[in-house]
Amino acid sequence: MATIASSYNPREIDNTNDIPGRRAPLITGNQTYTSVTEMVCRVAEDPQPRIWWILFGFSSLTAVMFLSLIAFLIYKGVGIWGNMSPVFWAWPIVNFVFWVGIGHAGTLISAILFLFRQNWRTSINRAAEAMTIFAVICAGIYPGIHVGRAWLAFWLLPYPSLNLWMWPQFRSPLLWDVFAVGTYASTSLVFWYMGMIPDLATYRDRSKSPFRRMVYSLLCLGWTGSSRHWLVYEKAYTILAALAAPLVLSVHTVVSFDFAVSQLPGWHTTIFPPYFVAGAIFSGFAMVVTLLVPMRKIYKLENLITLRHLDNMNKIILATGSLVGLAYGTEFFMAWYSQNQYESFTFINRAFGPYWWAYWIMVTCNVISPQLFWFKWMRTNVVAMWVVSIFVNIGMWFERFVITVTSLSRDFLPASWGYYNPTMYDGLMFFGSFGVFMTLYLLFCKFLPTIAISEVKGVMAASEHAAHVEAELLGEAHGHGHHGAGH
Amino acid sequence: MSEHKPRKTSEPKPPRSTGWVAEFSNEHALLEAARKVRDSGYTKTDAFTPFPVHGIDEALGIKPTILPFIVLCAGTTGLLTALLMQWWMNGVDYKYIISGKPFGITPASIPVSFELTILFSAFTSVLGMLALNGLPRLSNPIFTNPRFDRATDDRFFLYVDAGDRYYNRESVKELLSSAHPESLDEVMEDPSPTTLPRPIWLGSLLLVLAGLIPAMIVLNMRAGFSDLPRWHVFFDMDFQPKKKPQQTTTIFADGRTMRPQVEGTIARGQLTEQDPFYLGWDPSKVTLAEVRNPILVSTQDPAAQDPAPAQDPAPAADSPKSEVVVETKPADAATEQKPADPVAVPPAQTAAAPAAGAVPNLPWIDRLPIAADEEHMKLGRTKYEIYCSTCHGYSGFGDGLVAQRAASLLQDTWTPPSSLHLDRVQKQPVGQIFHTISKGQGKMASYASSLTPKERWAIVLYVKALQRSRNATIEDVPVEDRSKLSEAK
Repeated sequence: MATIASSYNPREIDNTNDIPGRRAPLITGNQTYTSVTEMVCRVAEDPQPRIWWILFGFSSLTAVMFLSLIAFLIYKGVGIWGNMSPVFWAWPIVNFVFWVGIGHAGTLISAILFLFRQNWRTSINRAAEAMTIFAVICAGIYPGIHVGRAWLAFWLLPYPSLNLWMWPQFRSPLLWDVFAVGTYASTSLVFWYMGMIPDLATYRDRSKSPFRRMVYSLLCLGWTGSSRHWLVYEKAYTILAALAAPLVLSVHTVVSFDFAVSQLPGWHTTIFPPYFVAGAIFSGFAMVVTLLVPMRKIYKLENLITLRHLDNMNKIILATGSLVGLAYGTEFFMAWYSQNQYESFTFINRAFGPYWWAYWIMVTCNVISPQLFWFKWMRTNVVAMWVVSIFVNIGMWFERFVITVTSLSRDFLPASWGYYNPTMYDGLMFFGSFGVFMTLYLLFCKFLPTIAISEVKGVMAASEHAAHVEAELLGEAHGHGHHGAGH
Repeated sequence: MSEHKPRKTSEPKPPRSTGWVAEFSNEHALLEAARKVRDSGYTKTDAFTPFPVHGIDEALGIKPTILPFIVLCAGTTGLLTALLMQWWMNGVDYKYIISGKPFGITPASIPVSFELTILFSAFTSVLGMLALNGLPRLSNPIFTNPRFDRATDDRFFLYVDAGDRYYNRESVKELLSSAHPESLDEVMEDPSPTTLPRPIWLGSLLLVLAGLIPAMIVLNMRAGFSDLPRWHVFFDMDFQPKKKPQQTTTIFADGRTMRPQVEGTIARGQLTEQDPFYLGWDPSKVTLAEVRNPILVSTQDPAAQDPAPAQDPAPAADSPKSEVVVETKPADAATEQKPADPVAVPPAQTAAAPAAGAVPNLPWIDRLPIAADEEHMKLGRTKYEIYCSTCHGYSGFGDGLVAQRAASLLQDTWTPPSSLHLDRVQKQPVGQIFHTISKGQGKMASYASSLTPKERWAIVLYVKALQRSRNATIEDVPVEDRSKLSEAK
């Protein structure tokens, strides 16, 4: 039986240490192919723990509240929100950018880390991709209901209407957004689904009830694990990753164009695309940590989603958090260096104007709190990292709030200045969108493979192979005792 | 083989064998066996593994896939689609100017082109993968082996198909046995029926048909006509919570939605209505009761006044056709008919009708408020020739090009323009001519929106000069200019 790192005691192992000349194991606890299948399938096959039902009850009620509020919004109109001159783009756009940003981590982990051969991605990519899909769903709701007449939102598409007989305006960033977010949502969905096909086949083959077996048979499209299929499958996966990598960078770039292409001080800046992309990766990874820390505990997946995975994610959070901090500083530098009085005013107003509190919450959460990850103790302590990830989520919401609301509330014309106040509906609907997100995520845990089983096994085989080669090179007797394969 | 129990349903003959499958516990054993099978010359082989085993393509002799080329074509199609779409939609079919940006393919086309390239490629790589693999395929003989469930868990299977050129049942069995598999089974055809049971088939058909019903109703309603008012699924802006003039309200104590002018305030344009220069008559010579007259109300804002109801030709058309001659003033007849035909003319129109139809007996001013000098005469001539001469003619006889053509067509609906040299027009005070230009008369529209008051007065001056010229004697010409006149002849 093929195993990895059999000489280590899983209880004492610290795979966050990199010992020179020896690869740290990606998964711990003497795992075999059988045990990996067992561990992942158990999540869906065993009765869900009590905490799942509590969370599901709470979040599905919240989701129902959100849907009812959307119905009320469509009936009553967007006037129930606090959007008012001069802040016409308020929470709906803030929430849209917030959710789209979170939706960047999944495809980034699946695509970019795949292209860079970061094998540790295999334990977390499925959950992160699922999170991406659900976050993009939450994001997509907001522009759809913000257009006012939500039943005509399909006019955003190039649709040859007999009534209108006109086409959308392709020189507008808002239309680019429709295409970027639409492409991202659908490509992420097929990427996620394609990745799940082999694991759905595993679920099918382990099903006890005929109904369950039939449903998973249909979902996995009759996957057999044929090597001829695997060859095409892997090629398709590589192509998708190569396509999704620039796509994931383009989406938040296009979202930032919504702001950067306008003339408003604080928005009209070339730094926005990289700044937004860094922020999106930052918030997305924070959300992955927020979700995975409790998930690995509840479903006892600590041997698959190890501290090394969390440590790596925290390093990315530290790097992107510092990038975001650099962007905040650069904005101030450009405001001073350009000697543009409107630009200078906007940034001084951001930090010391009526929304100073939002600005400093943002800086504290986004720039200062991830700096704690310089310490390894913070990076490997699950409670500490969970708290920091929550801070980052809060901070990233405030970043979008600061960008959107402070710039709009005080533009060129002092006569139209105002102070934005959200209404009860703004708050309840934002809270409700978390209900939709969590409901979908919990259903995902219950019914779909939460970890990419076949990919984890593939990496196990690869690292065993690497260890074998390593041992041969070092001339050691590296006892794995597998059958002599003709390498 | 002993574990394999083919379902004995209505099929009397035993299921046919499709090949042999050997089970291995790890990928190394599988690779070894695969090489052995390949070296024996078998090509219709396959391996089934829980994850992609590296080296298996070489060990089985699997050729590389053409998927990348398919995706390349799809990506190019996506790019061209996006470019063509943007060029056609914004550059050809629906061109509109926005911030002076150029039409067609511009740098602004890059984001959408990029996204569609990705979209087409991504879907093609997934659908292409499924198509090249022959998926979805829900019925597969290999699934009849219960051990095969572990192919997606922890076991590795090697399969040799009976359709292979060199296939021989016994020798394949021997070959696979020599690789020491965990188990070796013959794969049997799946005897279970491959067609859908009839109730499912009928049920789905009914569901599809039922699903078409709403679409058919919508299509029928879109294509057909109906006398009934349209359905308002969404009210859009068809019904708005607002009050219109003449409606009642509970907001104000007097119950009226229209509000009187606040005391001590002046509305925009209100000052001009007191000035004969803008009116052609002198409001200070009229009593308050007369000021309440709808005529005066309608004079408050000449620019905003809607000439349509005031110029309604319906009364004129109702009048006997014999009256429609140059000398007739059809609007006069309309005024006389007004009380007799209240249905044809709604109250709102009758209130405004006198402004255009009947010329009220107002205190017209009879002196020009502008100087009768050469500059104004030239201005008046220019404007007359632009705006008036098309109907009234260059000399004012009502023989302009429009009038000539209309007369040649002999249409009943045409009301010929008046000659300016008629006795009653000659007798009109300058203020009344100004009023006619400003408010229109009969079928003549108001020119208040095209001409400033000064230009209108200049036209009045020119019209007066025209009238004088048609009834002048040689005595009217200054002595020193009489010689020029004879030269011109």
